[in-house]
Amino acid sequence: MEWTMTANVPGEVCLMQGNEALVRGAVEAGINFAASYPGSPSSQVLGMLGKIARERNFYAEWSTNEVCALQACIGASLAGGRALCIVKQNGLLCTADALHCAAQHGVKGGLVIITSDDPSAHSSTNEFDSRWQAISAGIPLLEPTTMQETKDIIPYAFQLSEKIGQLVLVRVTTRVCHGRGNVALGPLPEHPNPLQRVREWDRMVCVCYMHTPALEKLEALRQEFETSPYNHYSGPEQAKQLIISSGTGRLYAQEALSRLGAADTVGLLSLGTLWPLPEKAILQYLKPAEKVLILEEVDPFLEQGLEALAGKNRLSITFLGRSAAGLPPVGELDPDNVMAAISALTGTVLPEIPTPEISIDLPEREMTFCAGCPHRATFFLLKKTLRQEKNPGVVVGDIGCYFMAGQSAGQYAFQVCNCMGSGVNIAEGLGQLTNYGLDQKVVTVCGDSTFFHTILPGLVNAAYHNANMLLIVLDNSATAMTGFQPHPGTGLTAMGDRVKAMDIPKILDAVGCSVETADPFDVAESEKTLRRLLQKSGMNVLIMRQPCATLKAKERKKPLRVWVDQSKCIGDGCGCDKYCSRVWGCPGNTWDFKNNKASIDPVTCVGCGVCAKLCPGGAIQVEGGEEG
Amino acid sequence: MLSTIALDTQVIRPGLCTGCGACQGMCPYWGSMEGRTICYFDCERKDGRCQQFCPRMPTDLDALRCRFFPAEAVLPEIGPFLGLYLTRAADADIRGGAQHGGTMTALVELALQEGLIDAAVLTRSQGGLEAEGVLASTAEEVRACSGSSFQIPPTLAVLNKALQENRYHKIGVVGTPCKTLAVYKMKSKPLAENDSHADNIGLVFGLFCGWGLEWDGLRDLTENHLNGGSLSHMDIPPSKYHSLELRKAAGETISVNLDEVTPLVRSGCRYCTDMTAEFADLSVGGARSADGWDVDKGWNQVIVRSEKGAELLNLARKKGVLEFKETPEGALDKLKGASLGKKRTGSENLRRLRETV
Repeated sequence: MEWTMTANVPGEVCLMQGNEALVRGAVEAGINFAASYPGSPSSQVLGMLGKIARERNFYAEWSTNEVCALQACIGASLAGGRALCIVKQNGLLCTADALHCAAQHGVKGGLVIITSDDPSAHSSTNEFDSRWQAISAGIPLLEPTTMQETKDIIPYAFQLSEKIGQLVLVRVTTRVCHGRGNVALGPLPEHPNPLQRVREWDRMVCVCYMHTPALEKLEALRQEFETSPYNHYSGPEQAKQLIISSGTGRLYAQEALSRLGAADTVGLLSLGTLWPLPEKAILQYLKPAEKVLILEEVDPFLEQGLEALAGKNRLSITFLGRSAAGLPPVGELDPDNVMAAISALTGTVLPEIPTPEISIDLPEREMTFCAGCPHRATFFLLKKTLRQEKNPGVVVGDIGCYFMAGQSAGQYAFQVCNCMGSGVNIAEGLGQLTNYGLDQKVVTVCGDSTFFHTILPGLVNAAYHNANMLLIVLDNSATAMTGFQPHPGTGLTAMGDRVKAMDIPKILDAVGCSVETADPFDVAESEKTLRRLLQKSGMNVLIMRQPCATLKAKERKKPLRVWVDQSKCIGDGCGCDKYCSRVWGCPGNTWDFKNNKASIDPVTCVGCGVCAKLCPGGAIQVEGGEEG
Repeated sequence: MLSTIALDTQVIRPGLCTGCGACQGMCPYWGSMEGRTICYFDCERKDGRCQQFCPRMPTDLDALRCRFFPAEAVLPEIGPFLGLYLTRAADADIRGGAQHGGTMTALVELALQEGLIDAAVLTRSQGGLEAEGVLASTAEEVRACSGSSFQIPPTLAVLNKALQENRYHKIGVVGTPCKTLAVYKMKSKPLAENDSHADNIGLVFGLFCGWGLEWDGLRDLTENHLNGGSLSHMDIPPSKYHSLELRKAAGETISVNLDEVTPLVRSGCRYCTDMTAEFADLSVGGARSADGWDVDKGWNQVIVRSEKGAELLNLARKKGVLEFKETPEGALDKLKGASLGKKRTGSENLRRLRETV
C-alpha cells in the first residue's frame, strides 16, 4: 500500500481503493498539512497519511475533533501551506461554524476538505447529504466518481483553492471510498509546497464585509467549471431522455444503460463540479431534453438545482429522481434501483431477474459487541442496577461502539441518543430537573475517544452546575469503532510518535467531578460501585476501565481457555433458560443444538471469563492462560 | 405467557406481590431490592418455578389443602386446626428478645436440637429494619432471629438457594402466611421437570400476620420518630390502642399513631385473606386476650395444624421448653373473628382491584 502512495513513477497504473486514491492525490498535490478525526467511510485516509508524512515531509495528525482539525488546517493555510482536512458527514457539520467563517475570510495556502458521506448509514447513525454545506457556506464543491478521478481531483481542488483563495469541498461517498479501480499515477512534486512567513498585513479574518468578495470568488469559478474535465457527456446529440449524475450514479447508469441497450438513445451527463453549477454546459443538454433522471447520493441536491435552472430558462421538462418517481427517497443508489429508474425514464420493461429456486431463511442477526467486549459487561450491570432503583432510571447514549447498547447487545440501554458528545449535555438537562420533581436516576455514557472529542465542554458545564447525574466513561483505550486510531488518551500520534497520554481521571478531578474507577469484568464489585454511585447526588463519574477485546487480541495475549461442563449446564431448563447465549449474548457463548446445552465457540471466545461468573449452573469453566 | 412476563403483569404491576422471595434464588432473572421484587431480564420459558411458587398466582387452595391436611380438621375461618394453645418460652433469655412470648424461637431451637429439622430458614429482623432471610443451622443462629419485622424481606430466596444446594434435607421454614403458602406450593412440586428438591423442606412454622409495610416508608417513618438512636423492637398493640410502638435500644418506647402507618401498608398485603398462616404445621402469633392487652402480654397463641406440629408441641411441653397457660373460653372465637375480618377486607379489596383492571 505505502509504495503506491509514495512511488514517483508517473504513468504507472495501480489498483487502488478510493481512500488510497485520495491519499495519493494529496501526496501528488504536495500537501504540507493534514488533519482529521476518524469517521467511516474515510477513516483510513489520515491513517495512511500519518504513515508516510515524514517521508513526504508533511505533518499529519489525528485531531481531537473535527473543529480542531479544520482550524489547524486554517492555520497551516495562513502560512501558505497546502492543508487537507478529512471528515465524515457528521464531522463536517461539527465544523459548520469554522467552515462558514473560513469561507468568509478565505484562505492563503490551498485548503481542501474531504467530506465522506455514508448513504444508507452503513457505519453511521444517520445518513445525510453534506453537499448542502457548500451552498450554505458559499464554497466550491467537487465530487469524483472513478478511482482515477478521486486521485486527480485532489490536486485539482488545491489549484482551485489557491486560484480563488477559497476552501474547496470534495465530497465522496462510501462506495467511492471503499471501491477499487485502476489509477494511473501522476508525478510527485520535487519539493514540498514552500511555506510563506505570515506577513504583517496578511488577513484571514472573518468579517461581514467579506461576504460579497466570497460570493464573487465563487461566481468566478462558474466560468471555469463550464469547461471542467470532471464533467462528461456521452450519448446521442440532442437527447430527449437525459440522465444527469454525480458520484456513483454515473457508474451505475453506465452499467444499466448497457444492460438495457439504451446507451445510444439516452444521454448521460455526469458532473464532477457540483457547486457552482456550470449552467451553460448543463443547459446545452437540458434544452433538447423532455425527461431528465437525476442520479445522486442521498438528497435531491442536483435535482433541485437543475429544476431551478430549467425553471429560470422556461424549459418544460419532467424531472425524475429522489423527490419524484423512480428512486427511493432515502438510502443509497445501487445498480438495481438505478436500472429500475432508467427503465421508468425510457419506458422499457425492466428485464426480469430470475429468482433462485432455493431460498434459505437466514437468521436475523443484530449488530452486537465483539466477544469479550467490556461494554457488554458494563451495560449488563447498568441494566441490573437501574432495575434495582425504585423508579426506572434514564440512560443517555452517545456515539461510539457503545451506540449498539441501544439494542440487545446492551440490554436496550438508551432512551435517548443524539450526536457525538451530546450525552453529557442531555444528561445535564435531565439531572437539573431532578431538583424539580423528576424522580429518577440519570446516567450517560461516553467512550474515551468521545470524551476528548466533545464531552469535555459538556463535562465542565455539568460539573460547574453540579447536575445530579452519573457519567460512565467506557475507557477501552481505543477509538475502536473506526479502527483504533490514537487519541489523546493513548499516548500515540498519527505519525507514530510516543507522547504523554492525557489522564482522564486527572482531568475529571481537575474539573471537580467525583471520580471512581471500576473494572467491568469484575462484575460483583462493579455492580456494587455502580449501585453506590447511583445513590450519590451531584456530578459523579465512573470510569469503566478494561481494554478493548480486539486490542487485546491484537496484542496476542494468550487467552484463558473457557469451556462448558455440559453435565452442570442447566441449558434451557428452569433456572437458566440459556442465560449465557440468550441474555448475556456474547458471540462466544453458543448453543449446542445436538445436546441442548450451552457451549463456547473457541474461535470467537477471547477468554474474558465473565460468562463463567454469571453462569447460574456454575457450568462454565475457565482454565489457565497467561498474559503475553 | 412467559414466566417473567406472567409474574410482572399478573402480580407485580397490579400490586399483588408480597415480596416473599418464592420466585427468587433459583435463577438470575429475579432479585429483590428493599422489598421490591425485580425482574432483571426476561426469561423466555413458558413455565417456571417462579410463577408456580408465587403465592399470588392463581392457586387452587382447596386442592392444595387436601393434599397436606385432613379435610375434617379444616375450620373455614382459620384453616386446618388441631388445637389452640397459649404458650411462652420457658427460657427468660428467649423471652427477652422475643416479639411476644418467644414460642417460635423456642420451638425452632427445639426442632433443631431434636433433629426434627437440620436447618431453618428464618427472618432476622435486626430490630425491625433492614430485615433479611437467614439459613440457620444452630440454636444460636435461630435465637439471633427472635423478634418480628414489618418490612417483609424475600426470605424464601434463601430457602430456594438452600434447597438447590441440597446440603440440608429437613429444612424448617418460618414465615408469614404468604410465605408458608408458597412453601406448600413448592412442596406440591408443580413443575414436573424440576422438583426444586422440595423433599428437603421440613416443618413449616407460620406466623400470624396483619400486614407488612413498605420498606423505605417504614425506614423513613422510624427515622422521623427516633431522632437518632437505633431501634430494638417494634410492635402493634391491640387495635384499640391504634398505634405502632417503636422501642429504642436505650429502652424508651415511642408510640406512633396508626394513621401514619397504614398508608405504608404494602400494596400486596391489602389483598391478603390469611391472617393465621393456614398452610403450616403450626402457626404462632401474639396472644390477644378479650380481657385486655396486659392480660396475655408476653404470651403467644399457637394453632396446631398437623400431626407433626402436634408432636413438636407435645415435645416442647414434655421437655419444659414452653410454658402453657389455659386457653380462655372465647379465645378461638375471637381468633376466628379476627381472621374472618382479614378475609373479608382482602376479598373486598381484591374485588375492587378486579373491577379496575
